[in-house]
Amino acid sequence: MNVANNGKQSKLKRTLNKLLHARELTSIIFLVLMFAVVGIINSNFLSVSNLTLSLNSSVVYTIVAIGIALVIITGEIDVSVGATLGMAASISATMVRDGSPTWLAFSAAILVGALIGLINGIGVSILKVPSIIMTLGVNSIVRGLIYVYTDGKWVENLPFDFKTISQSKLPGTGITLIYFSVIVIAIIVHLFLNRTQRGKYFAAVGDNEGGATLLGIPVNATRLSAYVICGVFSAIGGVLYASRVGFVTPISGNGYEMKVIAACVLGGVSMAGGVGTVIGASIGSLIMASISRVLVFIGLSSDYDNTITGCLLIIIVVFDAVMQRRNAVTARHERLRARTGNVNLGGIK
Amino acid sequence: MVISNPAHSEKPTVSARSIHKSFGSNEVLKGIDIDLYPGEVLALVGGNGAGKSTLMKILMGIYQADSGRLFVDGVETKINKPSIALANGIYLVPQEPMLFPNMSVEENIIIGFNENKAELRNRLKDTIQTLGWELDLKRKALTLSIAEQQLVEILRGLMRKSKLLIFDEPTSSLTFNEVEALFTMINLLRQQGLSIIYITHRLNEVFQIADRVVIMSDGLITLNAPVEEVNHEILVRGLLPTNIEYQENKICSIDINRECKPIFEVNQLTGYGFSNISFKVYPGEILGIAGIVGAGRTELVTSIFGKDDIINGKVILDGEDITGLSTHEVMSKGLSYVPEDRFLNGMFRISSVAENTTASSVDSLGHIALNKKREKEITNYFIDTFRTRVTGCEQEMGSLSGGNQQKVVIGRSIATKPKLLILDEPTRGIDAAARADVYAIINKLRQDGMAILIISSDMEEIVELSDRVLTMYSGQIVAEFNREDVNHDSLMAAAFGIVGGKV
Repeated sequence: MNVANNGKQSKLKRTLNKLLHARELTSIIFLVLMFAVVGIINSNFLSVSNLTLSLNSSVVYTIVAIGIALVIITGEIDVSVGATLGMAASISATMVRDGSPTWLAFSAAILVGALIGLINGIGVSILKVPSIIMTLGVNSIVRGLIYVYTDGKWVENLPFDFKTISQSKLPGTGITLIYFSVIVIAIIVHLFLNRTQRGKYFAAVGDNEGGATLLGIPVNATRLSAYVICGVFSAIGGVLYASRVGFVTPISGNGYEMKVIAACVLGGVSMAGGVGTVIGASIGSLIMASISRVLVFIGLSSDYDNTITGCLLIIIVVFDAVMQRRNAVTARHERLRARTGNVNLGGIK
Repeated sequence: MVISNPAHSEKPTVSARSIHKSFGSNEVLKGIDIDLYPGEVLALVGGNGAGKSTLMKILMGIYQADSGRLFVDGVETKINKPSIALANGIYLVPQEPMLFPNMSVEENIIIGFNENKAELRNRLKDTIQTLGWELDLKRKALTLSIAEQQLVEILRGLMRKSKLLIFDEPTSSLTFNEVEALFTMINLLRQQGLSIIYITHRLNEVFQIADRVVIMSDGLITLNAPVEEVNHEILVRGLLPTNIEYQENKICSIDINRECKPIFEVNQLTGYGFSNISFKVYPGEILGIAGIVGAGRTELVTSIFGKDDIINGKVILDGEDITGLSTHEVMSKGLSYVPEDRFLNGMFRISSVAENTTASSVDSLGHIALNKKREKEITNYFIDTFRTRVTGCEQEMGSLSGGNQQKVVIGRSIATKPKLLILDEPTRGIDAAARADVYAIINKLRQDGMAILIISSDMEEIVELSDRVLTMYSGQIVAEFNREDVNHDSLMAAAFGIVGGKV
């Protein structure tokens, strides 16, 4: 009885320990501090309605951040997510405006997202184009196609039914159904990455590509699927965007790549690959979505939004890089020291 | 032991037939035939560049052979990627651990298995218990010491139900007890009928664990015999290059005045990868530092050159203390270093020969605008004296052959007019003719009174060039030879940690 109890306790202790050392903890503390400080300056910020609004408004960032987090964890990057989002938003919006059922518009958007992801994935993992170049090119192509597709015009007058999708709330709360669904998706992806053999390949590929190859892990296929999933999630983000905003312009989704990359980094996803969770990316998205609201509440112009995002991004990435370099040097020194053994100068019997 | 009987009753697990492999113009494997039998531990020994690692990478599907055939259980198999090797039951425990630093030990070991997780965990715990190793499975791999990382790599190999298990120098950083435990485990695997390749630089281990010994030298198998039929002496001899010609046109000996002040002095120097190193170099003297890769030679000179920290000791150049100075300062004091890996550290591929020649002495070409005429003069001087084969001083560096690139890089170091020149593996990967030219250059510099430090894994080169030789092993100097007593055998033995000819 006692032994079992002890076992339980140590398990609890271990879980607690794990929580305390999680990289996500830093982002949660950051989030809480941000809300606390702004709450002191302006108590309205901590009202239930504002808190739920913050959650609900982060939904598009969150879904796209989950997608891009997968790519970053494999050690690559995708800067075409904003364009993919814009394309998916334009397609789904024009389709529902012209009378297509929502499910069809949704499916079409996802298909296009998957296709863009596939192109990125083939370029990066098969043709070995550096991911920043490949996705920057694709970003430009897709942006151009949006203009061609929409004739450069706004897509407006979306049906009421389509717009209410993003408004319906979970009974008894202020949280929207779609935010709730996105959180469920985040948890599913999290479990996939951490509990399944295939899922662990993503971090393995980003952590040590050479080691992964040696163990027979399908490095190219893993990267390719990360890009396809990222494309699909960006497209879902696009549909949600259209539904939430109610209209789509040719520049919709501009700059989203920057926001979601910052969200991932804030949530503890390492740009070097191999480290990070989609839960962290979701928390980061919440922070990113709240920053512009914070500015309003403390009486600053929301024009500072992008500047602050950029600063945060650089500070965290630089900090991360410095820590990694230090670890690498220490590891190298330790390895060399281990080699310097005691020599048996007396020869061998 | 039945297994070591050369008349094998069983069929080989894996066979290789006339494996050839070249990298560029450098032929690394020149037709390798090898059979690996179940229940047999085969020790593979050989000097650096003998082709051991290349052969293992071919078995593992990391490299593909240019020609030759591989058989698994008698069936010809194309192994062109690691996943095929793994599917055929071949597993390589690499020399440098290839772990996932951000995963736990347990995740690192069981990743890539398609089995039930709980079962895997139990099997892992059993294996660790049998070995008696202490390893916290929950720790992250990046917190492990190098020895612990090696344990994890070995566990990965043991957990695979392999037919052929390859260990590439598994014990280089393990403690005595850990090595004992590993040997117990290898014996167990041998009884279970596994075929094992054991690569090592520690000749003692060959007698402890192996049934059969294969020596590779210069891309060929020079010895393949049951372990009972060999001894230390045969092993050391087998490690030598196959065709040694004692060229008596050794460098004409100059009388070196060792009474005078040394130009360069290292005093009880300790850093990362070497410890307690002391030596002196006199003007007009060539000091060779011999040793195998990983002995700490490159770490020693790069630390002297200001690229890494020095923990303790002193470096004195021409009476001046240059310990711990930056690379730039060390160079301006008169020390020049030609690095081991030209491609990585030594040259600017897409720049011209002229720019490469003057890259280190660019300060002397004028302070604001570069004196192009002077640059050309210097370059042509070195092209002429070194007999560098180029179309002109504007030719792109990357289009030169390896030997000519090396001449340009040496020329650049000398253009700074150093007091001490350090050459790290000066003739690696260049052909015989260019090698002779490089030797002539070194000889000429020495006659001009320059002090030269040469690092080489090529024992023949060391014997041919040096006035005095130090041998490093495990980061320490284990032996010193004068020109009169230096020979391949004693040098090779010392490089493998056997000192005083006691074999």
